[in-house]
Amino acid sequence: MSSDALLRHNAFIYDSDDAYVARSVAFLREGLEAGEGCVVGNTRDGIAMMREALGPDADRVSFLDVSFTYTRPAKTLAAYYGAFLEHLRRAPSVRAVADVQVGPTPADWDEWAEYEAITNLTYSHLPVWVLCTYAANGLPDAVLEAVWQTHPEVFTDGWQPSDQFVDPRELVRQLNPEPEPLPELRSFSGGEDLEVFRERLARELVAEQVPGAKALDMLVAGTEVAANAVRHGAGIEEVRVGRADGRFVCEVIDRGTGFDDPVAGYLAPREGTGTGLWVARQLSWRVESFRSPRGFTVRMWL
Amino acid sequence: MRGSRPSAEQELDLVVATEGGDEAACRELVELFLPAIGGLARRFDAGGRVLRAELMQEGIAALLFAARRYDPRLKTPFWGYASFWVRKAMQELVAEMTRPVALSDHAVRGLARVRAARRDHLQAEGAEPTKAQLAAATGFTRARLDTLLAVERRPRSFDEPLGAEEGTTATFGEMVADPGAEKAYDQVLDRMEVQAVRDLADRLDERERAVLSGHYGLGRPRQTLHEIGSDLGLTAERIRQIEKAALEKLREAAAQPPDAAGDPI
Repeated sequence: MSSDALLRHNAFIYDSDDAYVARSVAFLREGLEAGEGCVVGNTRDGIAMMREALGPDADRVSFLDVSFTYTRPAKTLAAYYGAFLEHLRRAPSVRAVADVQVGPTPADWDEWAEYEAITNLTYSHLPVWVLCTYAANGLPDAVLEAVWQTHPEVFTDGWQPSDQFVDPRELVRQLNPEPEPLPELRSFSGGEDLEVFRERLARELVAEQVPGAKALDMLVAGTEVAANAVRHGAGIEEVRVGRADGRFVCEVIDRGTGFDDPVAGYLAPREGTGTGLWVARQLSWRVESFRSPRGFTVRMWL
Repeated sequence: MRGSRPSAEQELDLVVATEGGDEAACRELVELFLPAIGGLARRFDAGGRVLRAELMQEGIAALLFAARRYDPRLKTPFWGYASFWVRKAMQELVAEMTRPVALSDHAVRGLARVRAARRDHLQAEGAEPTKAQLAAATGFTRARLDTLLAVERRPRSFDEPLGAEEGTTATFGEMVADPGAEKAYDQVLDRMEVQAVRDLADRLDERERAVLSGHYGLGRPRQTLHEIGSDLGLTAERIRQIEKAALEKLREAAAQPPDAAGDPI
């Protein structure tokens, strides 16, 4: 791909290891010959296969062990983003082969379908060609359907444009039901002073015995969300904290009308966009935004 | 929690704490599910005891991966979720171990250099080297090192003595069964690469950490900026500036993509 082209996000459904290796290696070699950077994300076994098949060319490829990267969507996106940026320092564009780790439950499939939808937007400003690979063997129908919904082109016997592709934001909305209220949280008034907010939040974190390093994560993430509420949300109306599902939760409720972008905070940092929610997503287990009778709410799960 | 089965709530707390990088919780979680992992390993243990040892290692690594990915909202019990990944990891290991690998002379010589560097580091430091340290010691690029390490990976028998270089005569199996063998057990967990959680606090220097911990009462009694300043011989305003800079440093670090350098082997 030329350096002025931006993201291409395609899928390849393979029915054997040999087919995976043959297509992936051909895809990457084409890129290497054109001076492009190359990235492979796979299990250790998959990486070993690719290293062997690439031979000496493997030295020019970055490998991501998916047992580190495919934990939370925001962290996976950041891991690939880091690998892309590393190559883009010295190459005009990047190719990646990313073997997607499909979990055992429908909720897990939805979460990673959402990740695939968001991928279309996260790196949309970068000259990157991502080939997501799926092992067809035993692939649930719902996952297969999501592959066609989230990739503009899919390779089966040849490249085919997907006629099932869904607008990424629309798909994310479909996959995310409105968050349930958490009546067990307790509230404190927000004010406009971020230092006062942090001190109060810290007291709650200590009271809930959140370890120091994790508490710092929440203080930084919370500060970003609170700063957004002050800057763009006409001020903080209320802050609610407590534990739910074993995790510390913090809600910042502002006085503004809020935003409607379901992928806010998932776009890799770039000119012209704020990084506050990206930071909050990197430091939290999950970030949700919704409107409730209390006001526009951003909820962070630590 | 040893000796009695934890409640579902306690189990969830363990999973959440493990995901958050709590080493004690991680150790406890592994101990709790070791019998279940062993049960799965027996199903794949067609190649003898050596393969079984590595099956266990893969199983533990997969359990920890599941802990980092598990969402209680999935409405699936943790082991119901984690056992899928444990089984998958064992299947992949069997596939990998049964795939023929032919080493070139060049690779054999490279491997010898890696082994020597690892041995030297262990003798000098008493701990496993990181990939960055091995790369520095051998002069290999990270990519070349990764290739050689993929070949070097070998299973370890549960009854194999660990040897003098690790400072103990206990067997590997004894250590896995006994979390009291702290150092050795940590080495097992390190090999599983459990320290993948980014700890933002590592980006701070000692003074910055003292200011943030003191002001927000994290792991120590809460202090005013004046009190922290008195302890450090600085004005309250200077402490406020240090805190502001430290928070900005943490924010910058979180905004940057993760750095893969220095991962344990």
